[in-house]
Amino acid sequence: MFEGNGGVIERDDFCSLAPIGWLHHKMQDSFFLVVGTGSCQGFLQTALGVMIFAKPRFATAVLDEDDLGGADPLDGLRPIVAAVVAEHAPKAIFLASTCTPEILKMNVAGCAPPLEREFGVRVYPCRLDGFDAAYTQGEDHVLQAMMARAPETAEKNLVILGCLSPLEEAEIRLECAQMGLPEPAFLPGESALDVPPLGPNTVLASVHPYLYAAAAFALRERGTALHKSLFPFGPDGTRAFYETLAAAFGKTVSYAEREREAWAALAAQTAPLRDKTIVFASDAMVELPLARTLRAAGARVPVVGTPNVYKKYHALELATLADVEILERPDRFALFARLAELRPDLVVANLNIANPLEGMGYAVKWSTELTFQPIHGFSGASTLFGMFAATLRRHEALAARRANDGAAGAPIDLDFFHLAGSKR
Amino acid sequence: MKLALWSYQAPAHVGVSKAAASFGKVHCVVRAPKGDGYSTIMLAMFERLGVLPPLSFCAMSEATLAGAAADLPAMLREIDARERPELIVVTRSATAAVLQEPLDGEIAMMRPGEVNAEILLAGTHPVRDDEISAFARTTHEIVAHFATAVPRSERPSVNIIGPSLLGFHDRANVEALRKSFETLGIEINAVVPLGATPEDLRTIGRAWVNVPTAYELAKPTLEYLRERFGTPYVSTLPYGEAGTTRFLRELCGLCEIPAERIAAAAQDAKLLWYSRTVDAHALSSKRVGVFGLPSAAAGLARVLRDELDMQIEFVGTYALAYGNWLRERVADLTDEVLVTDDYREVKRAIDRTRPDIMFGSQMERHSASEFGVPCAVVSPPSHILNFPLGYAPFIGYDGANHIGDLVNQTQVLGLEHHLIETFGPRGQGRFAEAAPEPVGEAQPAGSVAEAGPRWDPAAERLLGRVPFFVRKKARANVEKYARERDIVTIDEAVMLRAREHVGG
Repeated sequence: MFEGNGGVIERDDFCSLAPIGWLHHKMQDSFFLVVGTGSCQGFLQTALGVMIFAKPRFATAVLDEDDLGGADPLDGLRPIVAAVVAEHAPKAIFLASTCTPEILKMNVAGCAPPLEREFGVRVYPCRLDGFDAAYTQGEDHVLQAMMARAPETAEKNLVILGCLSPLEEAEIRLECAQMGLPEPAFLPGESALDVPPLGPNTVLASVHPYLYAAAAFALRERGTALHKSLFPFGPDGTRAFYETLAAAFGKTVSYAEREREAWAALAAQTAPLRDKTIVFASDAMVELPLARTLRAAGARVPVVGTPNVYKKYHALELATLADVEILERPDRFALFARLAELRPDLVVANLNIANPLEGMGYAVKWSTELTFQPIHGFSGASTLFGMFAATLRRHEALAARRANDGAAGAPIDLDFFHLAGSKR
Repeated sequence: MKLALWSYQAPAHVGVSKAAASFGKVHCVVRAPKGDGYSTIMLAMFERLGVLPPLSFCAMSEATLAGAAADLPAMLREIDARERPELIVVTRSATAAVLQEPLDGEIAMMRPGEVNAEILLAGTHPVRDDEISAFARTTHEIVAHFATAVPRSERPSVNIIGPSLLGFHDRANVEALRKSFETLGIEINAVVPLGATPEDLRTIGRAWVNVPTAYELAKPTLEYLRERFGTPYVSTLPYGEAGTTRFLRELCGLCEIPAERIAAAAQDAKLLWYSRTVDAHALSSKRVGVFGLPSAAAGLARVLRDELDMQIEFVGTYALAYGNWLRERVADLTDEVLVTDDYREVKRAIDRTRPDIMFGSQMERHSASEFGVPCAVVSPPSHILNFPLGYAPFIGYDGANHIGDLVNQTQVLGLEHHLIETFGPRGQGRFAEAAPEPVGEAQPAGSVAEAGPRWDPAAERLLGRVPFFVRKKARANVEKYARERDIVTIDEAVMLRAREHVGG
């Protein structure tokens, strides 16, 4: 194995524009206007391609040479916002600054107030760039921008932070009702104008491990402390999430029996994971809680790669992973070296390296799916563990059936293309 | 600023990396924020590579904004040691270009022998160039970097210029040409960029003739080789059966080979016979639109009119720089040549002319489907469907056969659709499942056993929020769960419990 000599890292993750995919879907009256290059537009087209055809509520204001030369962005944005408002009539526009405006020190955020005044549509300025943030952290920055418009409150209200599917929200709503807690408000909700009030007494509970900036903003600007809990993934995390929520409202509720029942109901999905070695390559920043619950289900998770670790924000999850090697923002080749030593039964990796890892002989679970399947709570646990179990099952089944056929399934390599028509 | 929803071409750095990474023993490094790195995903997914592609991103970070240097040399050293390429091509995305880092200076300051590979900074302009011009220019630069004066090969030989990774059916296209050339006794000297190594490029001047598979992708290389070595290139595009014969005749002339040999190469070509069969007679009344890469559009339009007698409503391309080239090529086929990079304009042309079959890119397939017009995909931008496991060329004699099949299949599907519309029960066609299930209304008779569980309105609403393609299964799963536990009324809680137990 080659040893790196420069501390240069090759990372495998995508741009934080990606959450536009699920956020514009969740907030049906929103429009996402990205201020960037043709490459931003190309990313949206490639990553969210299928949505292009249904009159998409996202677009790119592509910077031209005038903009690069220092033209006032407000002049460029005016006609574009006018066109967006005329065609889509959104209730709110998310005006996203990207890498290039940041380099140019272009004040995109400063354009939001005048545009809002001129067009009578709320404009949230946010920063969605492809530098250091994990791709899911785009949602973090969008929610932070929304929080800036939250009404103040002194009440002890309950706010669930993080974009969830209706099924996931329904579970949280029902459990809160059963525990006698206040009706939870969700951020984001179904409208881009729905921003629940925040104040020093608000119980703000994050369901995604990548919403660090929004949580920090709430504390700094509104005095709202983040509710401390494991994230609600798997029966163990979900139990902790509900029990601590109850405690935050002065109630003692035990979900011990509920957790036991849930594990029992999950036997079919968790049995194939028992004693299997699973390694996470770095991708969506959901790795820490998923590693925790997979271990609770009986899997071995010796190594977890994850884009960013925030010591305090992730403290409770980290405490459960004390004996796990955590690779923050790992270099692709350093990770490969660890894999070669460990030979895990399953690698959880994104599309950049998924096929090459299969080519190296690993069973690979495509990790990006973890961000758009409803896997939260008790009701999502079956889907969660089922995804891992299904990949393992498929690999074992195919391997068993072609056991004696050595050449079967050889990966496509570059020679496959180079030999076509070549004189060699 | 310009509002952009969708574009036919990728940014310039993607064109550079497609070209550079397609050569053998060449590695491409793109200086860009990691967010620009999605082109590696396209390579890994579309071409289903089981190995890492020879493409790396030297990522800009927050630290870069604060003034940290690119540390390009360290990355070049790592790639050099790990991959042992002969050449590393360095380029930057538009975002990186804005920063105006002195990458050339960083490269120039590396010690001699610090890396074994040669290093070439691509000359493409990251903002002004587009995917096509960046691809064509980079191919030319790499060829020119290695080409040396060598004697002509003894036997007739050709360079095939244009095929690449992520190209449109390119591996099959090369194979289709190879078969014909083998029959004719013409050697392939190099395929550029797909697989050509620096060693192949040093002797690229051996070839008697250059053969472009797509003129717009090959043009600078063709012109360079003609100027440098006097190598002519074939101007006929090898589309269709008659087209391929014309192409081979031109090639045979340039290779000093008797044209009689072509008949042997054409043995399995069946497009012109298909065209004579009564099955195909109806094609004369069919009106078609053609839109795509200039060579594909010109080549296809000619086949459809000259060989299948279809009527051309319009021909077009999104490569604006090749508008006049296309106009000249199709002047005798149609008066309507559409040169635009706005997909909505193409959609309007489809709407206005309502052709019987559209030939275009994946975008035209979507646009045409809105008007119920069937569409054959014959040009990039591509889709995973354009990377078939099997052999589906678009050029040469085998490509002609495939075009015939494509016309045939697209037509039949169109007819099938028509029959379903006409005779099929309403809403029972194959698209019916795409329609959302009515929410809160009476359930369709027979979907629940008479003694089966009842859905309360809240649960029914929640079910309505489940994506349509899994909704049916979710309903069945929840009802099964309820029946097994003698639950009479399904409310939200039951539904969530059921999900917990059976998934979905």
